[in-house]
Amino acid sequence: MIYSRSAFSICIKGKATTLSNEGKTRTVEEINAKIRKGDAQVLTAEEMKKLVESSGVEVAFKEVDVVTTGTFGAMCSSGAVINLGHSDPPIKIDHAWINDVEVCHPGAAVDIFIGATNMSEKQPFEYGGGHVIGDLVAGKEVELRATAYGTDCYPRTQVKTTLTKDDLNQFCLLNFRNGYQRYNCAVNSSDETIYTYMSKLLPRFRNATYSGAGELNPLMNDPDYETMGMGTRIFLGGGQGYIIGEGTQHSPKNLSGTLMVKGDAKKMTPEYLQGAAFTKYGTSLYVGLGVPIPILNMGLAKKTAIRDSEIFTDIVDYSVPRRDRPKFGQVSYKELKSGSITINGKKVRVSSLSSLKMAKKVSQTLKSWIEEGTFTLTSPVERLPTSTVFKSMRQTEEIPFVVSVMHPAVTCTEDEEIRAIAERIVTKSVNHIVVVDATGKLRGIVTSWDITRAMAEGKKALSDIESRNVITAKPDEPLEVASKRLAQHNISALPVVDIERKVLGIVTSEDVAKLLGRRY
Amino acid sequence: MGRILIRVNEEQVSEPIASQVIIEYKVPMVILSAHINSKGGEILVEIPDDTEDKIVEALRKRGVTVSVPKSIEVDSEKCFSCGSCVALCPVEAISLTSDSSVQFDKEKCLGSTCSICVDACPARAIKAVKPNGNGSQNNREKKS
Ligand code: SF4
Ligand code: SF4
Repeated sequence: MIYSRSAFSICIKGKATTLSNEGKTRTVEEINAKIRKGDAQVLTAEEMKKLVESSGVEVAFKEVDVVTTGTFGAMCSSGAVINLGHSDPPIKIDHAWINDVEVCHPGAAVDIFIGATNMSEKQPFEYGGGHVIGDLVAGKEVELRATAYGTDCYPRTQVKTTLTKDDLNQFCLLNFRNGYQRYNCAVNSSDETIYTYMSKLLPRFRNATYSGAGELNPLMNDPDYETMGMGTRIFLGGGQGYIIGEGTQHSPKNLSGTLMVKGDAKKMTPEYLQGAAFTKYGTSLYVGLGVPIPILNMGLAKKTAIRDSEIFTDIVDYSVPRRDRPKFGQVSYKELKSGSITINGKKVRVSSLSSLKMAKKVSQTLKSWIEEGTFTLTSPVERLPTSTVFKSMRQTEEIPFVVSVMHPAVTCTEDEEIRAIAERIVTKSVNHIVVVDATGKLRGIVTSWDITRAMAEGKKALSDIESRNVITAKPDEPLEVASKRLAQHNISALPVVDIERKVLGIVTSEDVAKLLGRRY
Repeated sequence: MGRILIRVNEEQVSEPIASQVIIEYKVPMVILSAHINSKGGEILVEIPDDTEDKIVEALRKRGVTVSVPKSIEVDSEKCFSCGSCVALCPVEAISLTSDSSVQFDKEKCLGSTCSICVDACPARAIKAVKPNGNGSQNNREKKS
């Protein structure tokens, strides 16, 4: 059948529906019949975009049956349900550890759940649930320890054994949030390096990180979730799995849909399920996930042609530890993948956290499975919702912020004499004097101890004794965070500054102690 | 070219030690990175291989600490090409190839004096290793 280009262009603008091919569809059953015969036309998302660009949507729709997508990234809300089988005498597990990682026991006697982010008690931050899952999938032997209180029917109170995946009854990967449609680009505006789930962020915008496969992401290629929902068969961790519903925090209106998925981990491969360690943040699991999209209609052919240049995300300041963090505009995945972005006129190098190389490999592997006929498509029994709203936590208790305890700082300038500053310390009865320049910007800090010492040693110039490397706080930071910083640097006060380093006030360890009821 | 790390203390900061050695031995030194303040500092320099031993000795005679920085290695079995390390590198020693694999340029890398990328690798694929082979037999590892 030949489609006329002019008729088509009317259709995609949505002005006419009767003219041509809009009504033309194919079904999943038809595609599966072709897969069984070895006739199905399968393209990876990458190839589909090129085809649409070179030959147009009509041709792509006519020729392509399935488009395979893929993503490979750190997916913290992943885990595995395991049934261990019964010991003799039997035990009703109360607490259990695998390779020193505590696992949950949410159900009956020997069912456990390993969460990817649970950390080893012996090697926290380096080894965790994600690694346990990866090791099991790789066929490695792991050590199980369990304790129990003992009951009439389950008398045993302790068990210690080694296991491999072959010894388990069920080993089911069960991930409650995977495949985020898109994610933030993270930066750090502060003066210190921070370690986050978005990896290491160097001070003052010296790098940026992002996550997600952009135009290869499954949900991005079917943003109305026409073909995805409970029962959709997918590539999961190198094996086959299923979408079992919307993932947690699914937020379709915000183009941030997520998937809940499960699959038999015994059939998965270590390449696509790898434990990960984020310094000072914790452990996670890198998951390879790919969804085949049946090109049922012209609309889907067009949607799967989406390019990185059309997918935008926010640049978010992760140095502000709040739910609503400051943003510095938007960038496209095209810019992100180029290796550098521009923030406030400045070039910032950016790199990803998720692997594009592996995402491509997922989509290619899934394509080859379909071509070989070892993977057929399913229609969802219930599509993913398109209108869920992601709410914030209802908090019945408010927490204090720096702004609520800070008070005006007693200041001086660098040209003042030490004697004068000493007098100010006495008359104002403070321990810290903040050194500012003529415009009120932070230059340094001196303590009463510095002044006493300087006077004893006969020093006159402030510049000899002031500390220039000042640790500061921001007004909208939670007090808890500022208080941690005091402890970390073993200091007793933090000047509070705005983004231009203008001094707004000061917060001391006494202020913190009064409010948080603790001494740091 | 070999790399050495020179550490100077508070007193030595103001002395022209490196320049003296350069002039005396007529050896070019390329400064790769330097972190210096009034309390002392660290300078990473590159010098021709065949002059390394005598330069190290000359510097040590002047009382500064000289060590050979460890080099950085990426375990390609463990690396899953996420890319986290790429934008962190101050000298662009890590890059992405056209097939999105991560490529590591040992020549450019500053070695263990930098190490910025090491703790950012979620696969823990980046390690500082002792330089092997050429010249490490004469105890250059030891700090004088
Ligand atoms: S150690 Fe430093 S210079 Fe070497 S690759 Fe890592 S970040 Fe780059
Ligand atoms: S951070 Fe580690 S895993 Fe990621 S690309 Fe660099 S070396 Fe490879």
